[in-house]
Amino acid sequence: MNNSLIIGQYVPGNSLIHRLDPRTKITVIFFFVFIVFFANNVVSYSILTLFAIACIVTSRVPIRFIAKGLTPVWFLIIFTFILHLIVTKEGTVLLEILGFKIYSGGVIQGFAISMRFFLLILVTSLLTLTTTPIEITDAIEEMLHPLKKLKFPVHELALMMSISLRFIPTLMQETEKISKAQASRGVDFKTGPIKERIKAIVPLLIPLFISAFKRAEELAMAMEARGYQGGEGRTKLRELKIEKRDMLIFVLFVFVIAGLFYFRSW
Amino acid sequence: MRSNRTLFLIEVAVFTALALLLDILPLSFKIWAQGGSISFAMIPVFIVAFRWGVKGGLLSGFLWGALQVATGTAYILHPLQGFIDYAIAFTVLGFAGIFAPKIQQAVKHNNTSSYLSYIALGVLLGSFLRFVAHYTAGVVFFESAIEGQPVWLYSLVYNGSYMFPSFIICTILVFFLFHTQPRTLLKAA
Repeated sequence: MNNSLIIGQYVPGNSLIHRLDPRTKITVIFFFVFIVFFANNVVSYSILTLFAIACIVTSRVPIRFIAKGLTPVWFLIIFTFILHLIVTKEGTVLLEILGFKIYSGGVIQGFAISMRFFLLILVTSLLTLTTTPIEITDAIEEMLHPLKKLKFPVHELALMMSISLRFIPTLMQETEKISKAQASRGVDFKTGPIKERIKAIVPLLIPLFISAFKRAEELAMAMEARGYQGGEGRTKLRELKIEKRDMLIFVLFVFVIAGLFYFRSW
Repeated sequence: MRSNRTLFLIEVAVFTALALLLDILPLSFKIWAQGGSISFAMIPVFIVAFRWGVKGGLLSGFLWGALQVATGTAYILHPLQGFIDYAIAFTVLGFAGIFAPKIQQAVKHNNTSSYLSYIALGVLLGSFLRFVAHYTAGVVFFESAIEGQPVWLYSLVYNGSYMFPSFIICTILVFFLFHTQPRTLLKAA
């Protein structure tokens, strides 16, 4: 058994942020993604940054995990920053390199946009760093509950999400086994021209898909043998409960929003 | 009598897991900066779509998008972009399933060239719709980041650069797959 069995970015812990109800976290982050766009001056950005940093510090997630989540977006942050330097022609000229004039407006706007991306990624990755995918699934099921009246298959969707998550490690082991078996027969996955590499994938995919069909059929049969017949009347192993700490976070977040709208320039 | 419903739910779930798995395997060529990769992860969704029709395809695609958010592989930089990129873009892959009845019939009658062309059409339709969704999301995103720029061009280049190779790779692989194993396409039971 190895650690790669845990899918996603989750970092186990017992901090306040870890123990919050996943619904609280999702709601706060959902609104955070919206309000970030209202920040437009130093004070409003500082409020949001402070909030994000406070969350990270309380979560006690090591910085290197957070940095890992940011790696794919560095390129984008730098790209937009440079683009702003080149195209924005407001404010005073700060610097002139090879005929390119860099304006103060460009630096400010580039910095603001980069900050916005930074905050968004920071806060959204904090959700998956402190919440297991299963908790998120449970929360989504609870939060979509009202849609049941519109005949939206909420229960089925949540069931399928948990089954998917449960099967990823199993299928990963299966893939490893098959690719080793095929490699021992001489299939080369890693080198050679792209055309050959694509061809080499076929003997991996076919056994993988066939075994996936088998597993699905076995599980479906096992579930029916135990009387599974849809969501009606099923009880849960894990019950979600809103606690005092959740209310505290909500109140704090309302203050953050109020502060943001009070200090932003209109 | 066995009900197909449970099997349907489970099969869609397991194949969505495969899609997620194929996306994180080092075999896929993941070089694009954020939320875009040339990989063959779409194949399981197409298989579900061809086996169970549009409904299965849409469900599998939607599930895939939702799971990317839950496992933290999603990048949300704008509310609308996040919604289109993860709630819509993957779901529309399922429309490949409108060719499902035709493919099923062609496989039953062993009409190779017929089912291969319907498969290609299905993969093309699904990939194209997904591309349109990512393209729109890209426009929304770039618009929010850099005003007064030819954002449509950025989005086109960025999203086209991985969607086009992905489409080619998926078509080739689905071709190979069903040429060697047509029975994977047939509806169970």
